Amino acid sequence: MPGVELIDVAKSFGSTEVIPKLNLSIDEGEFAVIVGPSGCGKSTTLRMICGLEPVTSGSIFIKDRNVTKAAPKARDIAMVFQSYALYPHMDVAGNMSFALRLAGRPKEEIKRRVDHAAQLLELTDYLHRKPRDLSGGQRQRVAMGRSIVRDAYCFLFDEPLSNLDAKLRSSMRTELALLHKQLERTMVYVTHDQIEAMTMADRIVIMDQGEIQQVGTPREVYTSPRNRFVAGFIGSPSMNFLDAQLQDERGELVVRGDGFRLPIPDRLQQQVQNTTVTECTVGLRPEHFFARNDGSGNLAALKLNVDVAEYIGSSQFLAAHLGEQAVTATVDVGPDAEPMQSGEYYFDTNRLYLFDRRTGMAL
Amino acid sequence: MSNQLHSPWRVMAHYVCLCLLAIACLMPIWVMISTSFKDDIVIFDGKPIWFFFVPTMDNYEYIVGRGKFDRYLVNSVIVAVVSTFLTLLLGGLCAYALARAEFKGRRFVANATLLVRMVPPAVLAVPAFAMVIFLNVNNDLLVLIFFYTALNLPFAIWLLFGFYKQIPVELEEAAIVDGASPLQVFFRVLLPLMKSGYAVAGIFTFRIAWNEFILALLLTGRNTRTLPVAASGFLTDTGVEWGRIMAMGTLIVIPPLLFTFFAARQIIAGMTAGAVKG
Ligand SMILES: Nc1ncnc2c1ncn2[C@@H]1O[C@H](COP(=O)(O)OP(=O)(O)OP(=O)(O)O)[C@@H](O)[C@H]1O
Ligand SMILES: [Mg+2]
Repeated sequence: MPGVELIDVAKSFGSTEVIPKLNLSIDEGEFAVIVGPSGCGKSTTLRMICGLEPVTSGSIFIKDRNVTKAAPKARDIAMVFQSYALYPHMDVAGNMSFALRLAGRPKEEIKRRVDHAAQLLELTDYLHRKPRDLSGGQRQRVAMGRSIVRDAYCFLFDEPLSNLDAKLRSSMRTELALLHKQLERTMVYVTHDQIEAMTMADRIVIMDQGEIQQVGTPREVYTSPRNRFVAGFIGSPSMNFLDAQLQDERGELVVRGDGFRLPIPDRLQQQVQNTTVTECTVGLRPEHFFARNDGSGNLAALKLNVDVAEYIGSSQFLAAHLGEQAVTATVDVGPDAEPMQSGEYYFDTNRLYLFDRRTGMAL
Repeated sequence: MSNQLHSPWRVMAHYVCLCLLAIACLMPIWVMISTSFKDDIVIFDGKPIWFFFVPTMDNYEYIVGRGKFDRYLVNSVIVAVVSTFLTLLLGGLCAYALARAEFKGRRFVANATLLVRMVPPAVLAVPAFAMVIFLNVNNDLLVLIFFYTALNLPFAIWLLFGFYKQIPVELEEAAIVDGASPLQVFFRVLLPLMKSGYAVAGIFTFRIAWNEFILALLLTGRNTRTLPVAASGFLTDTGVEWGRIMAMGTLIVIPPLLFTFFAARQIIAGMTAGAVKG
């Protein structure tokens, strides 16, 4: 059953169209993550769901109820704002309990919930501080706390972890995932950090310029991106894109470009045979390069001119050239390896992607 | 550099300047207060006596005992309090609308309100008088309240507009999502943050309404006089009754002083600090 459903929702600010037409259905109890580059309309989408921004056209359903015209209060939603939006005249406890106090909940219940949230967010020592006396990360946690004390049907998070340091961020990620398991509530989480998206999401919604590019599980969007944008956005470091031609060399389908010639994997044989496209873009993920041919998979040799090899522990990050085109690769060579040199590297052709160069759609 | 800033000579020079300024400000007030406790013989003595004279309460007894001092005091309080309240209420609403609503030329409107303020009240006195006579509503405190409110609104709007602009709109949105009704948003989120703004606007408005003379002189009668007008009654055909005027002046100063003292305690700097990402 869909928990939150957007049907043909469009949004314009004056004459600038920010979201052309958006259809999205988020299941009840699902953890959906919206990712996309800055300015693609993520916050706007959240604000329309919670009712702070009216839709220009289309309709929104929450719990099978049409709430398109309903006030935020009537939507049973909690939201964490991208800018925190803490009440500066209330202390941390006051901020967190505001919604509960407005709802007239009993004192003991409020205290219990606030204490619980404070504990979860490591804010117990700060309950009586004002927001101005908190660090950025602490403020962000208060903003989180303010929403999770509530018993809302749906939770919206607008980049709630962006100001935390790496350690706190990953522990908060875990806490949130746990919280989601406990509460079993629908959660919509906005981020432009794709690691966050991959690790937390039941389903990822990838947006660009107000349009949904793909919706799927983390595995789906990583292994079968629908188009070049999704392929480039998901995965870190991001996928290499090289111009190439599809060719039929005496019955063998290959993709050929500057400095490389790769066989088409079985996975794509059918599509390539059926297409009329010849000008294409090859997508190679950096993590699918290997330094040695250990005989596994369908490895094809590629000659890389390594410009820089960066040591990142057990692997190395290579900024290199393949022919004239720049590529990046991460090769797993162990922590004791010397900096990698130019030479033969191997690519697992089973993991190769092809895109129509004109439309950007995956073949 | 910091050495230079904090050198004893510099500090001393600062304090000397401050003392001179303070004396310049306080001297007229001292003249007023001291004169109010003098009898005419001391006042009109050849050379001014600053500190050493035998104080007398005669002037106070006269103004409070005779005439209708209590009546005028009540008039003044009603006019100042009600017009200040109305100004803050209406001005706050206007300022809020200007700060939040999106419409063409709102910045112009916001600043234009200040231009209206540039017109001196004296210029408006005659048209106001004509209007009041035409409508036959003179000698009514409500009329005075109306004019003071109108007179003070532009400045209050402009001032409060600036304060409202500083409150991030996300705070209101957060409160709305937290389930607050419009009134709750106002009283529990906006008003606590606007305290400083309303206090500043209130101080200015109250002071102007309390002290205004020309309109009050033209628009009030025997029973509706305010204190400044009553004070001018001591400029008589037979001469100026300095002692009584000064006693009146001293009493007139007290309420706005109390009001300012109370209101100023609401002014806190940096109220919205920490609300949103820097
Ligand atoms: N009130 C507004 N008036 C006009 N344009 C707006 C308004 N709010 C947002 N926009 C525009 O809508 C687009 C989407 O904005 P939005 O805030 O949803 O982006 P976002 O995906 O959340 O970006 P970020 O990751 O930077 O937060 C932007 O181009 C922005 O300029
Ligand atoms: Mg945003």
